Amino acid sequence: MSETAERTSPAHYALVVVLALLAIGPVYIMVMTSAKNQVDMFSRVPLWLFVPTLDNYSTVLFDKKFDRYLFNSLFVAIMSTLITLALAGSAAYAIARKDFWGRGFISYGNLMVRMVPPAVIAVPVFALWARWGYSGRFEELLGLTLFYTALNLPFAIWLLFSFVKQIPEDLEEAAIVDGATPFQVFRLVIFPLMKSGYAVTAIFTFRIAWNEFLIALFLTGRKARTLPVAIQGFLTDEGVEWGRIMAMGTLIVIPSLIITFFAARQIITGLTAGAVKG
Amino acid sequence: MGSVTFREVRKSYDAVEVLHGIDFRIEEGEFCILVGASGCGKSTLLRMLAGLESITSGEILINDKVVNEVKPKQRDIAMVFQSYALYPHMTVAQNMGFSLRLAGVPKAEIAARVGEAAEIIGLTDYLDRQPKALSGGQRQRVAMGRAIVRDPQVFLFDEPLSNLDAKLRVQMRAEIRTLQQKLATTTVYVTHDQVEAMTMADRIVVLDAGVVQQQGEPLDLYDNPANRFVAGFIGSPSMNFFDVDIVDGGLQFETGYTLSKPVGDRGRAVTFGIRPEHVEIGEGGAEATVTVVEPLGSETLVQLDYRGVPVTLLSKDRLGLKPGETVPLRLDSPTYHLFDPATGVRL
Repeated sequence: MSETAERTSPAHYALVVVLALLAIGPVYIMVMTSAKNQVDMFSRVPLWLFVPTLDNYSTVLFDKKFDRYLFNSLFVAIMSTLITLALAGSAAYAIARKDFWGRGFISYGNLMVRMVPPAVIAVPVFALWARWGYSGRFEELLGLTLFYTALNLPFAIWLLFSFVKQIPEDLEEAAIVDGATPFQVFRLVIFPLMKSGYAVTAIFTFRIAWNEFLIALFLTGRKARTLPVAIQGFLTDEGVEWGRIMAMGTLIVIPSLIITFFAARQIITGLTAGAVKG
Repeated sequence: MGSVTFREVRKSYDAVEVLHGIDFRIEEGEFCILVGASGCGKSTLLRMLAGLESITSGEILINDKVVNEVKPKQRDIAMVFQSYALYPHMTVAQNMGFSLRLAGVPKAEIAARVGEAAEIIGLTDYLDRQPKALSGGQRQRVAMGRAIVRDPQVFLFDEPLSNLDAKLRVQMRAEIRTLQQKLATTTVYVTHDQVEAMTMADRIVVLDAGVVQQQGEPLDLYDNPANRFVAGFIGSPSMNFFDVDIVDGGLQFETGYTLSKPVGDRGRAVTFGIRPEHVEIGEGGAEATVTVVEPLGSETLVQLDYRGVPVTLLSKDRLGLKPGETVPLRLDSPTYHLFDPATGVRL
C-alpha cells in the first residue's frame, strides 16, 4: 500500500472525535448526574467540580424491589440469549450447509421478519397474551423470554450464517472421513470454530433483551417488571427523580459492559487462523 | 492395503454428465495418480471414492466390495485435502488422533499411535502446537500424519502440494513417495501437475473431459501416448505438433518442408508430434526464428517460430542463441508420433 493511502487526514480524526463524543457524551452525563445531589444537578451553571455522592445508588440498591427487578431482567436476558443461540446456531448451520426444500425462502424471509418494528407486534402479542391468560410472575417472564427470542432469532441466524460460511467445508469433509456423525461434525468442529460468532450474537441478543422497554412495559405486571421498566417508577406525581433514574441507568449499563469486555477477546481472535493455507 | 476398482462409474449434476463411464483398477499397494487439467473430473472421482459425492451410476469397489452405499467412515480410507483441512482449534496431536477418538480407541492407544505416526513424519516436537503455529510444509505433514494414524486400506490425496512453494513441493514430493513405499498402502493421488504424476506414480491415469484417455506406467505414457491429448499433457515442455500431409516418400509440412519418413496412406492429412528434446538445430533444417531463450543451466529451452507455428526445443548444450536469430531446425528424429487430426488417436 502506498504511503499516501495510509496517511489519515485531520478531517478523519475530527470525525472520529465527534463520533466518540456523541457516543460517550450521554453516558458521561448519566454517570456524572447519578453522583450529584439535587442541588448540584440543577445548578444554573453546569458543574464540573462537585462533591460526589452515592446517595442515589444507595436509594436504588437498597430498595426492596431492586433485587426482583434485577432477577427479572437477568432471567429474560440470559434465557432468551441461550435459547436464541441454540436455535440460531443450528438454523444457521442448516441454511448454510444443508440442501432442503424452501432454504432460499427461509434465508431471505428470515431477515424480512426482522424488519418489522417491535412496537407493531406489541399489540397482537398483547392480544395473544390476554387470550392465553398469562398472569403469574414466571409465566410473564417466560412469555417475555419467548418474545425476545422470536425478536432476536432472525438477526441472530443471519449473523451466525455468515460465521458458518467462513468455515472451510473441507474441515467438515475431513471430519466426515475421520468418522464423525453429522452431530459430531457440528459439536466437535463447527461449534468450537463459531465461538466468536456466538460471542458476537450473544452480546447482540443479550443487549436487546436487557435494554428492551416497550414490550416489557406492555407484557409485565408489577412482579415481573424488568429494570428498564422499573425506571419509569421514578417518574412520580411529586416530580422526576433524576438522580435515581441516572443511577439505575448506570447500573443497567454495567452487565452489558462486562459481557462485551469478556467477549471482545473471542471476537478479535480469528479462530480459523491456520485452518487452511495461510 | 486394499485394491480399488471403478466399474463404469458415471457422475451427473442435474442433466450435465461430468464423468462418462470410468473403468479401471488400482492394485493393492499401488501408487496411482489421476492427472488431468482443471475441471476434468479427477477430484470428483476421488471424492466419490471417499464417499463425499454420490455415484450416479456404476460401481466403486474397495477390496472387491462395492462401497457405493457405504458411509465414508466405514470405507476404511484416509484423505489428505488440498487445503490440509486441519482442525484449527486442536493441537497437532489432537488433529492426528481425532479419527481414533471418534472410533472410541482408548486414550493410551491413541497417544501411542499418534506418537508413532509423528515419528514417521518427523513432527514429534510439534505435537502440542496448533496448526497456525506451523509452516506450510509442516501442516502438510500433519495432514499426512492424520491419514497414517488410521492405518487405512487406501490413502486419498487431493492435490496436496498445490499450496506449497516450488522448492517445498519438490521436497514433499519425495517425502510422500518415500512414505508410500515404506507403508505400502494403496494410494490414489489427484493432481493437475504432470511432473508430480511422472515422478511419483507407479501408474498414471490421464483424464480429460470426464473420460480416461490412457493409463499406464509414467514412461510408457511418455513414450507411447494413446492420443494427442496425452501426448500434449504428459511431458514438460509439451510436445510440438504440426499439421502435415503424407506424400510420396515422407511428410510434407504446410510450409513446404519435407521429411523423408516411411509412412503409408499417401494423401492423408495427419498431425506430426515431436518432443522438444528430439528437435535439433543443424544443417539442412527448415529455417525458424528464435523468439525466447531460457537457459536453465543443465539444459537450454528455446522457443522458436517456424513460419507461424510455435516450436519448443530442449538441448543439453548451451547453444548461445539470441532472440531474432534464424536457425536451421531439424525435425527428422527417429522418435516422432503421428495422430489422426480428427480423432486425435495415435496412428
